[in-house]
Amino acid sequence: MSTEEAINVIPPMSKPRAAAWLIGISVVLIGVGLYFGNIGIVFALLLALMLTGVPVSIALGLTVLSFLYLLTNVPIEAVALKLFTGIEKFEIMAIPFFILAGNFLTHGGVARRMIDFAVSVIGHFHGGLALAGIIACAMFALVCGSSVATVVAIGSIVLPAMVQNGYPMRFGAGVIVCAGSLGILMLPSIPKVVYAVSTNTSIGALFVAGLIPGILLSFMLGVVTWYLAKKRNYPRMPKSSWAQRISAFRKSVWGLMLVVIIVGGIYSGVFTATEAAAMSAVYAFFISVFVYKDMGMKDVPRVLLNSANMSAMLLYIITNAVLFSFLMSHENIPQMMADWILGKDLGVVAFLIVVNLVLLLAGNVMEPSSIILIFAPILFPAAMKLGIDPVHFGILIDANMEVGLCHPPVGLNLYVASGISKLSITELTVAVLPWLMTMVVFLIIVTYWPSLSIWLPKAMGMM
Amino acid sequence: MMKYLDHVEEFIITFLMGAATLIIFSAIIHRFLAGLPIPGLQDRLIAFNFSWAQELCIYMFVWMAKFGAAYGVRSGIHVGVDVLVNRLPDEWRKKGVLVAIVCGTIFTGIIGTLGATFVWENGMHYAVYTLVGIDVGDVPQGPITPDLEWPTWIIYSAVPLGSYLMCFRFMQVGWRFVRLGELPHHDHAHVDGIEEEILDQPGILHDGTLHKGGSTK
Repeated sequence: MSTEEAINVIPPMSKPRAAAWLIGISVVLIGVGLYFGNIGIVFALLLALMLTGVPVSIALGLTVLSFLYLLTNVPIEAVALKLFTGIEKFEIMAIPFFILAGNFLTHGGVARRMIDFAVSVIGHFHGGLALAGIIACAMFALVCGSSVATVVAIGSIVLPAMVQNGYPMRFGAGVIVCAGSLGILMLPSIPKVVYAVSTNTSIGALFVAGLIPGILLSFMLGVVTWYLAKKRNYPRMPKSSWAQRISAFRKSVWGLMLVVIIVGGIYSGVFTATEAAAMSAVYAFFISVFVYKDMGMKDVPRVLLNSANMSAMLLYIITNAVLFSFLMSHENIPQMMADWILGKDLGVVAFLIVVNLVLLLAGNVMEPSSIILIFAPILFPAAMKLGIDPVHFGILIDANMEVGLCHPPVGLNLYVASGISKLSITELTVAVLPWLMTMVVFLIIVTYWPSLSIWLPKAMGMM
Repeated sequence: MMKYLDHVEEFIITFLMGAATLIIFSAIIHRFLAGLPIPGLQDRLIAFNFSWAQELCIYMFVWMAKFGAAYGVRSGIHVGVDVLVNRLPDEWRKKGVLVAIVCGTIFTGIIGTLGATFVWENGMHYAVYTLVGIDVGDVPQGPITPDLEWPTWIIYSAVPLGSYLMCFRFMQVGWRFVRLGELPHHDHAHVDGIEEEILDQPGILHDGTLHKGGSTK
C-alpha cells in the first residue's frame, strides 16, 4: 500500500493534537489491560504494536512472544514448534496457487476477452461499458480468487476505454472498484480459503456458496449503474449482432473453462481445492502463453516472483496468526468470548449486527486475510452456539471484507484503481459512494438471508 | 556481494513457486492417467509412487514463504496499520517507522534463534557430529518426514535461515531509512505493460465493429 498517497490525502496533525491522541490511546490501552486481565493485556498489546505501524504479521508474533514470556510458564520452545507446523497444511497451499493463477490471468489477456464478450452482450444499454465492466468483473471473479487482481485485470482495460468513449473517469473508477470486490465473493477466493482453514469449514461449499450472492451483487451494482448512466445520459455502445456475440463468447470461453475445472473438479471429487488451484494455475499459464499468446515465456519468471512475494506475505501472516490463535486457545479466550456473548442474550439478529459492525470497523485498519485470521477464531464459536451456519457465516464475513476493500484508509481496491485511473484517493472515495451504499444494502441482505448463501451448496449436496 | 544475495533470494522463491506447481500438476496427471485402463502403461504408472508430491509441495511452499517473507521486507509488501502513524507530525512519524523496523528486527532475530536451537536439537547436532566423526553419545538422531523420509531438521532449517535473512533485510531497510529517509514500497496498482496492451491489442473495444469511431463507417 502506498504510504505517500495516504499522506497526501490526510494532512499530519499538529504536535499537541498528536500528543493528545497518543496519550489518549495509551491510557485506553492500559485501562483495557488492567480491567480485563489477561485477555485485555493480549489485545492491548496487539493493538499497541499494530498502531506503531508494525506489519500485522510481526505484531501478532511479538504479542505472542512477549505475552508467553512475561506472563505464562509456557516454554518458549512450544512457539518454535508452532512456527514449523503452523502452515504445514495442504489446504493452505491453495492460496499461493490461486495467487499464481490470478497473476497469469491478469497478464494473459483473459480479462480482455471477457470484457469484449460482456460489451457485445450488454453494451447497448445505458452506461453499457460500465455495465460490461461489472459483468466482466463477475466473470473474471468466477475464475480468480483475488479482488485486487480483478480490479487490475478489468480496470486497466475498461477504464481507458470508458474515458475514450466519453465517460467521466470518476464514474468508471467508482464502478470498477466496487465490482472488483466480487473477486473474493464469487467461487474461488483467497479470504474464503483463509476462513475455511481457520474454522475447518468445507472449502468447496464456501466457493459455491458465494455464487448466488455474487450474482445478486452484480445485479444490484448493475441497476445502480444503469440508473445513474440513464440520468446523466452517458453514451451507449452500438448493439452487436448475435454472430458477434457468439464469436466474442467463443474467444472468452478458454478463460471460462476454468470454472469447469474448479467447480467440476472439486464437486465431482476429482480434485481437492488445492489441486484445483494448482490446475487452474497451470491452465491459466497455458492459455496465457500458448492460446492467447499475450504473454511470452520470458514474462513467466516475473509473474512467478510476484506471486511468490504476495503468497509469502500472506503465508507469513498465517504462520503468525496460528501462533496467535495458539495463545488465544491457551488463554481460553474464544470460549470466554462465546460465553460472554451468549450471556448477553443477544439473539442471532443482534449478534450479527455486532459481528458486522466489528468487521466493518476492522476493515478500516487491516486487509481481509488478517481480519479473518484474527476475528474468525474469536467470533466463530459464538456463532456456532447461536446456530448460525458456518458457510453462511463465512460468506457474511466475506461480504464484510468486500466493503472494507472499497473504502479508505486501507481499501486496496481503491489504491489499485487510483493507480490505474490516476485519480486521488479523496476523489475516488467520493466516486465510489453510490456503489458502496449498494454494497452495504447487499451486506444486510446477505446477513439476514442465510438461504441465499447456503441454498446452492445444499442443493449440490456439498454440505 | 549484496547483488548476489538478492539474485539468489529471488531465484530461490521463483524456482520454488514454479516447481511446486509443476509437481502438483504432474501428480494430478499421473493419478488421472493411472486411472485409465491402458494395458502396460497403467501398471507402470501405478508402480510409480507419487504420494510424496503433496508433502514435497508443502515443504517447498514453507521454504518459499520464509524466503519470500525476507524478499517481502525488501520489496515493502508487509503492510501494517499505518493509519495513526501517517497522521503524526513528520519527526514523530519517522520515530514510529523506526520503532516498527526495530520490532521487526527483534522479532525475526528471536524467531531465528528459537528456530536454530530447535533445528540443532532435533537432528542437526547428530548429523554434524556423525559427519565429522565425533562420538554422538545420547544425542537424538531426530525425526524424519512421513513420506519422503528426509530428516526434518533439513526441512525445518527454513525457519532459522529465512528469519535471519529477514532480520538482515529489516536492518538494511532501517539503515536506509535512517540515512536517506526512504522506505521500500510495494505498488499493487503497477502492472507492467498495461499501456501498450491497451493500445496495441485487437478486441471489441478497439476493432472497427464496435468502437465508437469505427461504428460510424
